Amino acid sequence: MVNTRRVTNLAILVSIGLVLSIIESMFPPLLPLPGAKLGLANIATVIALYLFGPSMALEVTVLRCLLGGLLRGSVVGLFLSFSAGLASTLVMILLYYIAHEYLSVIGVSVAGAVTHNVAQLAAAYLIVGQAALFYYLPYLALVSVPTGLFVGYAGRRVAVSLEGLSLAAR
Amino acid sequence: MARKKRAIDRKTKIGDIIVVALVLAASVVSVVLIARAGAGERGSAVVVEVNGKQVMRLGLSADRRVTVRGWRGPSTVEVKGRRVRMLSSTCRDKICVATGWAAGPGKSIVCLPNRVVIRVSGGRKPGRVDAVTE
Repeated sequence: MVNTRRVTNLAILVSIGLVLSIIESMFPPLLPLPGAKLGLANIATVIALYLFGPSMALEVTVLRCLLGGLLRGSVVGLFLSFSAGLASTLVMILLYYIAHEYLSVIGVSVAGAVTHNVAQLAAAYLIVGQAALFYYLPYLALVSVPTGLFVGYAGRRVAVSLEGLSLAAR
Repeated sequence: MARKKRAIDRKTKIGDIIVVALVLAASVVSVVLIARAGAGERGSAVVVEVNGKQVMRLGLSADRRVTVRGWRGPSTVEVKGRRVRMLSSTCRDKICVATGWAAGPGKSIVCLPNRVVIRVSGGRKPGRVDAVTE
């Protein structure tokens, strides 16, 4: 049976992610590094993971990447964001399961941000075929620490505020 | 999916600090290693571009000064001692001049207002092999 409340929550989270990624794309690039983004859309995934659980997080990410790719109309961009989003969400889910004793939202989000950048670089490598791309890796990893922290704190703030509400029916 | 509801941690845990520290350490170490690996290398030639078009190609072995016409006015490029710098430029902030010398392959000096880009190209001498196995 299709749970209407769950579908609605999913739709809201996907729209949050889409709007955040559109807002983010309006900012000028923070650093002269291709791929160094704030990753605001990841906030939606973090909220989904902690408020509704892993399957919701995965669904939100997949739908957000597919819809975002269609909206932007770039197949390469779709491939990059889809692979990166999927990899980072899977890592976050894994950490959420195995390391929840030691890791809070913040650490999970940072790990997700780093994975996002690594996966995106690997995907870009598959397209471009230039191994020199991996020279970017340490810089991207460095950048993803503050962005992951930001996303983690923002996601925690929202998730904590929404926790008390009875919308979390799965 | 049946799952026990897990309370959201309001506090940062020790693992968070470890994750952040690990990532920071790994990336800083790699940045340093990469910088070291490239430090000894010298480029072989200099490409000067104006507004995205290559206007000049200079060898790094001969010391010389050349002036190119940029978007706003002349820019003078100096090659000396296998290095290159922007000696003077018709721009307000002189960021290109302040960049100083560039020597390694892939290094560049950019003057946005005057739309002049100096790029060092080529690492190894052409024809030299990377390695030989027997």
